[in-house]
Amino acid sequence: MHQQTSETFDQNAREALADVQLRGALRNLATTFGGRRKEAIATVEDWEGLRDRARAAKDETLAHLDKYLEQFADNAERAGAQIHWGRDGAEACRIVLELIRARGASKVVKSKSMATEEIHLNHALEAEGLAPVETDLGEWIIQLAHETPSHIVVPAIHKSKRQIAELFAEKVGIEPTDDVAVLTGAARRILRRQFAEAEVGISGVNFGVAETGTILILENEGNARLTTSLPRTHIAVMGIEKVIPRFTDLDVFLKLLPRSGTGQRLTAYQSLITGTKRRPEDEGPEELHIVLMDNGRSRMLSHPVTRQSLACIRCGACLNACPVYQQVGGHAYGSVYPGPIGAVITPQLSGLKPAAQLPYASSLCGACREVCPVKIDIPELLLHLRAEVTEGTAAGTAAQHGPVKQRPLERFAFGLYARAWSSPTLYLLGARVARLLQGVVVRKGRIGKVGGLLAKLAPPLAAWTEWRDAPPLAPRTFREQWRDGQYREGN
Amino acid sequence: MFEAIRGHLAASAPHDAVRAAHHAAAAHGEDVSAREEKRATVVFEGTAVERFKQALEAVAGKCFVVRDEAAASEVLRRIAEQRDSQRVAVTDSKLAGRVLKLAALRSEVLENAAVESLFECDLGVTGARWGVAETGTLVIESDAERNRLASLVPAAHVALVEARNVRHTLGEVLQAINERGEGGLSRAITFITGPSRTSDIELTLAIGVHGPAELYVVVIEGEGNG
Repeated sequence: MHQQTSETFDQNAREALADVQLRGALRNLATTFGGRRKEAIATVEDWEGLRDRARAAKDETLAHLDKYLEQFADNAERAGAQIHWGRDGAEACRIVLELIRARGASKVVKSKSMATEEIHLNHALEAEGLAPVETDLGEWIIQLAHETPSHIVVPAIHKSKRQIAELFAEKVGIEPTDDVAVLTGAARRILRRQFAEAEVGISGVNFGVAETGTILILENEGNARLTTSLPRTHIAVMGIEKVIPRFTDLDVFLKLLPRSGTGQRLTAYQSLITGTKRRPEDEGPEELHIVLMDNGRSRMLSHPVTRQSLACIRCGACLNACPVYQQVGGHAYGSVYPGPIGAVITPQLSGLKPAAQLPYASSLCGACREVCPVKIDIPELLLHLRAEVTEGTAAGTAAQHGPVKQRPLERFAFGLYARAWSSPTLYLLGARVARLLQGVVVRKGRIGKVGGLLAKLAPPLAAWTEWRDAPPLAPRTFREQWRDGQYREGN
Repeated sequence: MFEAIRGHLAASAPHDAVRAAHHAAAAHGEDVSAREEKRATVVFEGTAVERFKQALEAVAGKCFVVRDEAAASEVLRRIAEQRDSQRVAVTDSKLAGRVLKLAALRSEVLENAAVESLFECDLGVTGARWGVAETGTLVIESDAERNRLASLVPAAHVALVEARNVRHTLGEVLQAINERGEGGLSRAITFITGPSRTSDIELTLAIGVHGPAELYVVVIEGEGNG
């Protein structure tokens, strides 16, 4: 298999489509999570109203992000947390590494965090001789297999239990089994030792409350609770967009996130952590460090269309609903964030050039927008980014790069198209010419596979007809038929 | 970083104005008052405790509703005996202490277990500040209870909650915490909804990954136990 990057999406997708096991797993994901989500949202009254309120809270925060971040940092510090600022991934990694070093610590456990995946924190720590242990079951599986997550909620969705059993047999020496309970039990047993000895726990953050300086972490397994309460030092890596204004706003987000993500009314555990312990005899870490990370986020603030990307609460609903993700899975996107939200976030985080294919990895069907709990208009974002890919002029991330694609022929063709469709005379003339010319390719009333010279002359037509027939233009237009009285009222 | 944020927000201002005007035109005529009406409070059938029990059982928790602390201690004893419990970890909740005393378990009871011995406990007993009926959730606060890892590390967790502390919604609990104002916010607040679970392998549900596989909640109805 070739190195999967965002630049090779087309090739990645072709390979994924040929992977029967992967496609079975993705079908299972779409039906299971899709179905559970529907049931779960039926248990709340006025789902639409909740979505509006959540989006309004996010919009309010993002429009004044400086103010809310400052408030969050002040309140967290007052409660005993230490705040660090990471302008980019490298800086955030360095901060975490130095914190661990300064404590002379070597035993590090981690709970699941997409922010730390984004900045490749594990690589950075491993390069310095540390061996952080992922403790979320899915993340642990991925870590043992030296792979990357293929979904933001269920990172090992691409692996079958058989593959996992073989992996466990090889890496941790348990008898191969297809009993999921046995596999889970093995993980519990082995990771308990890690928890008992851990000196530093690293977590992500789902929400940071500006009003109180509280961080909130959602999970189902209990590993995040252990990670944030057993080790002496807790380091939380938090994207700057995770701030919400008020403590009571949590109500709305706690209704939306689990229902959208896993179809649960509430995940098994939520930890709300405000600073450090107040009495020495209390349990919990001595130190709490919160690393507030920008890493390309503040750039997204510069336009209302791109800014909505920062409203994302990482539920994964758009992945589960996306017909493209359902076919190709997460790895094809070649980025930490896959699916529709990945297709819009990745080009903004890591630059448009390496991820120029991603805004096109969509049929613009709008299923993502439909399920998004914070009403992010992902199709609008995709179009905005496509414009940046070709024009390089739209505001936001690509402005500094210039156009990624230079296709004068495409530009000329669309110019003609725009002219023709805005003038009735040109439109009719164009239709007549096309009707005359299409005789060359129409066979049995359809336009089948186009090859040879024509394929070279009209690459879009050849690409379209490689997989399906194109319908030809009708012999007579509707307007011609109407004029000749072919239609009567009631007919 | 603040400079970058402010700079980008300022750059967005002209685009925001265009968008706002566009949206104002699009939203014209939409009946907002009709939307408001749908935001009625969810009305439950039955009492909060009945609702709590139903929601908890839906997520594989077990719920016992008992008259008083003596009855609660019998439930606790039965669970400990069934599980052949050897070592019990307990928080410093007064309620848990009283019920545990009444239960007079044969097991060893650790009130302030160190991490190593905590991992050897097979049962954890805690109180809970609140129950949430809507979702079957327990709320445990660090200011009210110490050694809360008793709710997480042992393979089974028994939580005791007073019926008058079972609220209908999570929103009510968040509101109540918020109303205490500054200083009323515990360092750690934990919401627990059912036993520990995962679906990370082929989306197959497995109960009891890192936390307890069994969760028992005993709701005590009696008056004057506070």
